[in-house]
Amino acid sequence: MNELERTNNGIDLHPVGKNNQLTSLEVYDKYGAMAYGIILQIVPQPHLAQEILVSVFSSPQLQACNSYPFTFAVCVIKLARAKAVEAKRKLMSLAQDGTGNTFTKGDRSPQVIFDLAFRQGFTPDEVAQKLDISKSEVLRAFHDFFKTYRNS
Amino acid sequence: MDTTDFIESGILESYLLGLSNEEEREYVKQRILTDQEVSDYLVDLETDIKGYFDQHSFPPPPEVREIIALRTSKGDIQKKKHVFNKNSAQENTRKKDEYLEIEVNDTYIKVHKYWRPAFIAVFILSKIFLIAGLYYYFKTASLEQELVKLKTEVQQLK
Repeated sequence: MNELERTNNGIDLHPVGKNNQLTSLEVYDKYGAMAYGIILQIVPQPHLAQEILVSVFSSPQLQACNSYPFTFAVCVIKLARAKAVEAKRKLMSLAQDGTGNTFTKGDRSPQVIFDLAFRQGFTPDEVAQKLDISKSEVLRAFHDFFKTYRNS
Repeated sequence: MDTTDFIESGILESYLLGLSNEEEREYVKQRILTDQEVSDYLVDLETDIKGYFDQHSFPPPPEVREIIALRTSKGDIQKKKHVFNKNSAQENTRKKDEYLEIEVNDTYIKVHKYWRPAFIAVFILSKIFLIAGLYYYFKTASLEQELVKLKTEVQQLK
């Protein structure tokens, strides 16, 4: 029994992601468009984004999502972001021109903070350093970002 | 930290998005196990996160699915090679399952990597035999000429 099942008195809240062993293609059919959208947000070049998408869904790490404590969707989001950020870092190290890491200094809105952390691949500590704020403020901005989305 | 503060701290969002460090992950896991309100919130948050990214989803080209199907089926076949199954009937069924009927517009063929040294060896051996054949042919021809010359000389001496 995994964490959520334990905390929900054994009631499985996400049967798709846990009990059924989904194949890569089934996961792709379900979350491919979402993953492609995430990758395009991080790496806007379509050809490269498609290569990353293939690597996400042919990755052995995807099978680990079958035993992931939470939904498959969150696992795919994490994996797509991780692969896209890794590819972006490689591109940036090749280009070394810093393009893409543009942000307006002084703007500390949850949108900007989320963008820096999720899309541009900075850790919360790095974001805090860049914006000259504390890490707890960065984390709180993530909460505010999804709170705003929920209420919109 | 009480539950409301914990939820509003954003650590759960960071955890679900894969932005948290090891220490934070362990802390979140502990809180999920011990706090029902946190685990309930986490379920809602997962739905929100999925909803947000669903809004930004973009359909990939159909070729991508084809490539993934090809790559994953290859991986499955490689894995299956390591599994020994005593039941021959099951083995036959499994072998049939290993092959997927996929139409691929590819003009290349793929062969096993051992074919490369085999081709090189055959090429080199063919060249060696060709050179040796030519060498012995010309050598034999020159010897025959020599023999004819010697025979002529002997006849002239007689």
